[in-house]
Amino acid sequence: MADPFDAALDLLRRLPPSSTQQNLSNLISLRPDLEEDLLSSVDVALTSKRCKKTGRDFLCCDYNRDGTSYRSPWSNEFEPPIEPEDAADLIPGGRVRRMEEAVNAGVDVYRELYYEGGVSSAYLWALDEGFAGVVLFKKTAAGVGKGGWDSIHVLEVTEAAGKRSAHYKLTSTVILDLGLSSAAVDSLELAGNLTRQTQSDLQLGLRDSEVEQSHVVNIGRMVEDMETRMRNLLQEVYFGKAKDVVGDLRSIQPLSEVGREREAHKDVINKMGR
Amino acid sequence: MSSKSSTVASFVEAAPPGELSNVVADIKALSPNEVSSLGPAFQKYNEEQYATIKIPGSSEATASGAQSHPLESPHADTIKSLQKSFSAAASEHFPSSTIGIYPNDSNSSIAILLVANKYSPQNFWNGRWRSTYHLTPSNNSVTGSIKVDVHYYEDGNVRMSTSRKVELSSSSADGIVREIAKAENKFQEELNRAFTTLAEGSFKGLRRQLPVTRQKVEWEKIGGYRLGQDIGGGRSK
Repeated sequence: MADPFDAALDLLRRLPPSSTQQNLSNLISLRPDLEEDLLSSVDVALTSKRCKKTGRDFLCCDYNRDGTSYRSPWSNEFEPPIEPEDAADLIPGGRVRRMEEAVNAGVDVYRELYYEGGVSSAYLWALDEGFAGVVLFKKTAAGVGKGGWDSIHVLEVTEAAGKRSAHYKLTSTVILDLGLSSAAVDSLELAGNLTRQTQSDLQLGLRDSEVEQSHVVNIGRMVEDMETRMRNLLQEVYFGKAKDVVGDLRSIQPLSEVGREREAHKDVINKMGR
Repeated sequence: MSSKSSTVASFVEAAPPGELSNVVADIKALSPNEVSSLGPAFQKYNEEQYATIKIPGSSEATASGAQSHPLESPHADTIKSLQKSFSAAASEHFPSSTIGIYPNDSNSSIAILLVANKYSPQNFWNGRWRSTYHLTPSNNSVTGSIKVDVHYYEDGNVRMSTSRKVELSSSSADGIVREIAKAENKFQEELNRAFTTLAEGSFKGLRRQLPVTRQKVEWEKIGGYRLGQDIGGGRSK
């Protein structure tokens, strides 16, 4: 018998991605024992909250959540507040928080350059041999048709002894939801998500003072390259593949004509070969 | 129905083209006790998705969806003629398809059904085209719909679904078949244009391929970017 957790993930890969959130809660009510594993491994569209202290919007995910509270990357505080002893464990300080602030500042510039709007947030937390983090973007499109882009980049950073280099493991998911409703086509929904992984060993500079700054640069560059790669991939799948499959199902040109053209083409090739 | 059985039934009803058996295998692994309750969900799936069956003694598949009664209908001749002309017309556009022509219970209309499936699980995609038309023989008018579903799931889950209502009429049953082919061609051309609209419109508006500056971000100098000048300079204000 297949492992129930694998079966749940397989099911979520098959059922309509527009209902992932609903299917996820249905799966949890069916198998409450899988709740924690599912919530930490299934990506759903991000929600945003307004930071009470700074008035800036931030994004919510499993990594900045404690119960029903979320930590703002701008104030570094949970909203609504959590128990002080929990906060002591969950609120990053020192070098991790310094890097988190720097990643947020960098990602903010990146977001304006590529998204020209939207919301971004980054969260980091310490690990024994380094640290981990998540970089999030959300943009909703106005204009012809509806559109939503959510990207979730999860990073695991292992620092080499002496901190001259580090190993970066990046798992990125983009949730892209597009829809159109017009007189010509009653409704067209193109919705889904793609996940890709990459790993890289990168330098951290020669001086200790360069380490933190180098992490920010390395993370930024990896996220940028991955997003650009995934954007191309999404374009291929959403507008190339989907259209090709429709063309495989039905041919606008009558198939007898297609057949005749193919024969004629073969004839020409044969004659040329003689 | 318990909430567990209605949950697993909703999974079955939402199964993508060609992946019902995978969905059922997942349900078995998750909730083995609920599998026996899936009968009605299977029936609904088969009827809505025009599951094809081979009738014993026949070499060709037929589409389920409407019950096929033995032909005692007053429209038996029309049905026979449609069977021939619609089947010929379908093979002109669908490399592989299954059709079904059935009178409704009260004999007031004739259902013309078509389903075309293309499954390529080794390449992680499956697709289904469904056409449904209801012909009123008294005035040769047709109402119906075209539905297309595509699923792509290599390291992800992308679903395209589209639908279009169709209304047409003609002076004869054979004419109807020609009008259907025309309407389907038009829909497919419009669908192709809609893909372009989304690609050029919403998609482009979400994330640019390159910043306005046409250069990748200089992360070493990230603190040097100034809002309003280096950033968003290409935006009309």
